Amino acid sequence: MPMVVTNPDLEDNPIVFCNEAFQRLCGYERSEIIGRNCRFLQGPETDQNSVRRIRAAIEGGRDIELDILNYRKDGSTFWNALYLSPVRNAAGDIKFFFASQLDVTARIEAQILIARQKEEIEREVEARTAALRAALDTKTLLLHEVDHRVKNNLTLIGSILRLQARRITDPVIASQLSSMLERLDALSAVHRQLYESSDLAVFDAGALAETLASGIVGTCGRNDIAIVRDVSSVPVPSSTAAPLGLILNEVITNAVKHGFANGRGGTLKVNAKSDGSSGMIAITDDGAGFGTEPPSGGLGSVLIERLVRQIGGRASWESGHPGSRVTIVFPVHESD
Amino acid sequence: MRVTRPTPPLDVLIVEDEALIALDLSLLVEDQGHRVVAEADSLDAVTQVVGTIAPNLVFLDLHLAKGQSGFDVCRLVQAAWKDSTIVFLTANPDLVPAHCCGAHGVISKPFTRSGISEALRYLEQGICRPPPHGDAPECLAKTDNFKNQW
Repeated sequence: MPMVVTNPDLEDNPIVFCNEAFQRLCGYERSEIIGRNCRFLQGPETDQNSVRRIRAAIEGGRDIELDILNYRKDGSTFWNALYLSPVRNAAGDIKFFFASQLDVTARIEAQILIARQKEEIEREVEARTAALRAALDTKTLLLHEVDHRVKNNLTLIGSILRLQARRITDPVIASQLSSMLERLDALSAVHRQLYESSDLAVFDAGALAETLASGIVGTCGRNDIAIVRDVSSVPVPSSTAAPLGLILNEVITNAVKHGFANGRGGTLKVNAKSDGSSGMIAITDDGAGFGTEPPSGGLGSVLIERLVRQIGGRASWESGHPGSRVTIVFPVHESD
Repeated sequence: MRVTRPTPPLDVLIVEDEALIALDLSLLVEDQGHRVVAEADSLDAVTQVVGTIAPNLVFLDLHLAKGQSGFDVCRLVQAAWKDSTIVFLTANPDLVPAHCCGAHGVISKPFTRSGISEALRYLEQGICRPPPHGDAPECLAKTDNFKNQW
């Protein structure tokens, strides 16, 4: 191992001993080494902070260990793992400094390379993240734009249907067109709620049932129907929102139009709950009831039957005394 | 100070660039017994009727013809008819800030016939005999201005 000894009692703490390994390491002859201060190994790229730390250790009579960039006689550089410590006599006075050197260029260069690569990778990750964020922003913007157009088109379709409805004198056709408008209103309610939802994948079927119930009763202008709500959040996949909206529209409209027909008022109950794997929405009225068989034959019952199947659910109809109760059971959105 | 409040029917200005939606809205407003004093599809069109009408209520879309903005119309309306009530009617309710630029409410598109009728009945009370009774219809989101004034 290369080593030197310096004498702090002499002017400028010169080297008084060096071994051959040290001569080989720095490329100087012994005669060029003895009598000089160790700083002759430093050069322009040597870290001045490291130099200051060495000087402070010598002045304080402490040992020190650090890696410092040194220069050979031929001007080439090497990383020197320097260990320097004071040597004291019996009285505790510092008589010499002992320093060993180790060429650790390979290790330091590897570290520098790794640090540089790490920096580069971080820069790349940062750039990639920025690109992904920009892509996500664009996607969100596009989604909003599409959403906006869907709603504008739904508004326009509604306007066209309402304008047409004004020209129809046949009461049967007028009532059918009015059913179409109600279905469109249900889809519109779904889209408004989808747009307001913060999570694009999940939709609250309970909130939708409430909105639809008050919307449908409001549309009919029926002040004699009270709505009673027992509704908790029922998360369903967003793909279920539109079919569920149409189903609920048919069920609630049935209750209002048939249960509370001929000026009969009453109470419409909306229940919604989820047990984590399946959701349940029940619409109960205390109106006229439907006898033993659920209403069938119209487009409404076809819609309910097909759409309930589509969402993997089932519908059951019970006739009460008075009134009727329709229960829709369906799978909910699985939370993680 | 005694305030003179308008009496029904209300004079309504409709600012909407979709021609059929504007027609539908006008008829819904007239169904409730009010008068549509003008339809406008842009800021330019509203500018042209300043001085010729005095609407009590303005239904205002955000995205107008010629790329013009409902927010600019909102400012113009407040300058031209300071007592008029403004309600945004938009498919982009998120874009309307909470202070709402002085408007009284926001109705989300797509709207329904009953939604517009209920909103009109409620707004008529606010304009002619404030404060309006009961809860606002579900479709009508009230703004800060609404809460302060009525």
